[in-house]
Amino acid sequence: MLAIFKREFLSYFRSPVGYVAIAIFSFLAGFIFYSQYSEGAVNIGSEVISLRAFFVIIVPIITMGLFAEDKKRGTDILYYTTPVSLFSVVAGKVLASFMLYVVMFINVIIHIIVTLASGGVFGVGALGTIVVFFFMAFMFISMGLFASAITDSQIVSAIVSFIFILITQIISVIGDYLGTAATSLLAMIKPGSESASSFGEGVRSFISWLDPFAKTQDFRLGIFSVSALFFLLSIGILFMYMTYRVLDKKRWSQA
Amino acid sequence: MSKEFIKDNSQNDTRSDKLKLYSIGSVVLLALIILLVNFLFDKIFGKALTFDFSDTAQNSISQESIDYLNSLPEGTTIRVIGLFNRPDNVSNTKYQYIVPLLDDYVKESDGKVKVEYIDPNEHPSIIQELDPTNSFDLASNSENFVVSYNGKIRIIAPIDCYSYDQSYYFQTGNYMITGNNAEYTFTNTMYSLTQGFSGKAYIVTGLKEEGNTYIKLVLDGMSVETAELQSSDAFAIPDDCDLLILNGPNTDITEKMYVAMTDYISKGGKMLIAVDYSQNNVTEKYDRLNQLLNQMNVNADPLFIYENDPGYQRNGYASDSNVTVANAFASYSSDYALHCSNGRSISELSSDNSAITVIPALMTSDTAYALTLDQTGNPVDDGVYNSGTHYVAMYSGNESSGAEIFVFGTLNFTSDAYISAYGTNDSNVEFTRSCIRDLLNSAGNPTLGIATKTVDNFKIDTTKATTTSSTLVLIIFMMVIPILMIGVAVVVYTKRKNL
Repeated sequence: MLAIFKREFLSYFRSPVGYVAIAIFSFLAGFIFYSQYSEGAVNIGSEVISLRAFFVIIVPIITMGLFAEDKKRGTDILYYTTPVSLFSVVAGKVLASFMLYVVMFINVIIHIIVTLASGGVFGVGALGTIVVFFFMAFMFISMGLFASAITDSQIVSAIVSFIFILITQIISVIGDYLGTAATSLLAMIKPGSESASSFGEGVRSFISWLDPFAKTQDFRLGIFSVSALFFLLSIGILFMYMTYRVLDKKRWSQA
Repeated sequence: MSKEFIKDNSQNDTRSDKLKLYSIGSVVLLALIILLVNFLFDKIFGKALTFDFSDTAQNSISQESIDYLNSLPEGTTIRVIGLFNRPDNVSNTKYQYIVPLLDDYVKESDGKVKVEYIDPNEHPSIIQELDPTNSFDLASNSENFVVSYNGKIRIIAPIDCYSYDQSYYFQTGNYMITGNNAEYTFTNTMYSLTQGFSGKAYIVTGLKEEGNTYIKLVLDGMSVETAELQSSDAFAIPDDCDLLILNGPNTDITEKMYVAMTDYISKGGKMLIAVDYSQNNVTEKYDRLNQLLNQMNVNADPLFIYENDPGYQRNGYASDSNVTVANAFASYSSDYALHCSNGRSISELSSDNSAITVIPALMTSDTAYALTLDQTGNPVDDGVYNSGTHYVAMYSGNESSGAEIFVFGTLNFTSDAYISAYGTNDSNVEFTRSCIRDLLNSAGNPTLGIATKTVDNFKIDTTKATTTSSTLVLIIFMMVIPILMIGVAVVVYTKRKNL
């Protein structure tokens, strides 16, 4: 796994991808930090939360080539023929992307230092948002990795991972719409039924329950919820497993 | 040979299908397991494994609240209902310090506190359920919380949960939050509800006043116990009197009453007095009542409010007009203009007693007259006392004794005739409620001592964060670092291209 991680991590810096991703992240983080700094109040927690919104751009960039490029070049055959488990391949690639995020995050650490030097505060709420940031990064990278594994086109991979992350970000809105639709549908089938509204509310609640942003919103207030982190972790692992299954199926299909 | 090849291919296809089925099946199974485990984990351990690490434990209730909740008997149920759907994101909203705190009440109360979020627009029956007499106009409280216990309710607006810079508010109309009182407000509201009545009001009768049916209804809705205090030779104000009400007396108070009320005021008593200027009392001078009011630097003048400004008149009547709420009492009513009929001028007396603070509460336009009426109720010749702004309600407080009074020069805030016509949701009644709440809150009601918590402050030192340093931040973080990275990317790309 370490060999895969090392290869993938260094490959980010042997190509423009890593630098471009860091440049985009630096610019966005810098913009948010500057906006707060110039107003005379800096909340690092708000900055990190705002940066979460850009997962939808950065994650597809850094994950689109993870498997798609190998498949395009035909070098993916090495994963099936070398004595290394496929799960190690998957884990190594996730870890490499994750570490790139860690490198990008150095920007925020510099912002924290500047804030403290300027007499600002770095509270436990900000720490909470950083913890959530990395758990979310892991989850979204896993989604991006899966998107990369199901196609040999980097563009398609980027689009699919963009859609996955976008859906995750607007899942509460989707829940609202589906809840309303469910209510209307049931009311149409059974006019006058009192259960239509509760059914719609149930649908909305269930879908909203899946919203990782809502689950972790209290971290910025200093409230740490283990179950929310467990949720992010388990969804990430689910997508890693799905990636593993895609590769495994391909390995045996090729045989 | 050819048949074997076909057979092999067929076996491969079968194996591929099985593998596909296995892959999909295992993924679906794992997804279901993950959902189930997360659901159970959330339900069973979710609250137990949630930790409040915030500074001053902003989102957790203190030991005082926990002790109070533990002291409640088993089976107690206090409902806290947010009259809106639970916000998905409370950060940087007025609910930021409230919603997480309410979650902690649920966690710590062992089932005694239930928190719900019910939007009356989606579930209109909740209004009838919480407030059957519609005394609180819950429909117009859609951003607030209702605390309900044994059929009694209290409304808590989000701003009630914060302390704020009052002078800044009066100057700008905006809130500058200085402290978080969410726990203080909610725990003490629960405390006063579970303790029974929040105060006892005595209504003085026997002065040819109108009925007191509706003011009692208003007080009852506020969980204030009421009792009547008959005018008699043995008139005395009971020790448990938290508020004394004189609602539209048409004759002056007796000497006995004056003595008792003077004693009551000197001991920090609270009074709400409403006396208009109508045919029923046009000849009454209220000498004793004014002697009493004068102790608080207030006087109920024998002057009739005649509104000249057509913009203030209601339906063109000078005696039935709007009065504006003074800034100091802007939060007492949702309306800026309230309704005054047969208004009597209430004036402030000059005094050297610095312990007494008099604040006008309701005022006319700056072109209103105050007229002297004759016995028939018509203005006397040359009876225009003054043209300008006149007051029809005053607040007076004595810092030394703690006494506080509200004096209304109209019955439109307390009378049966008005409340029965306009309802208990009327803005005037809302103003009355606020006055009563204000008087009772400072009447020494028992409260639990819960400290105000600090709110987050992210301000940086302006001596360090200068314009120069701000420009440097802009240049370094938004320009130098990104451009440097793009430059390296170009170099790497060029080198790879030339490989």
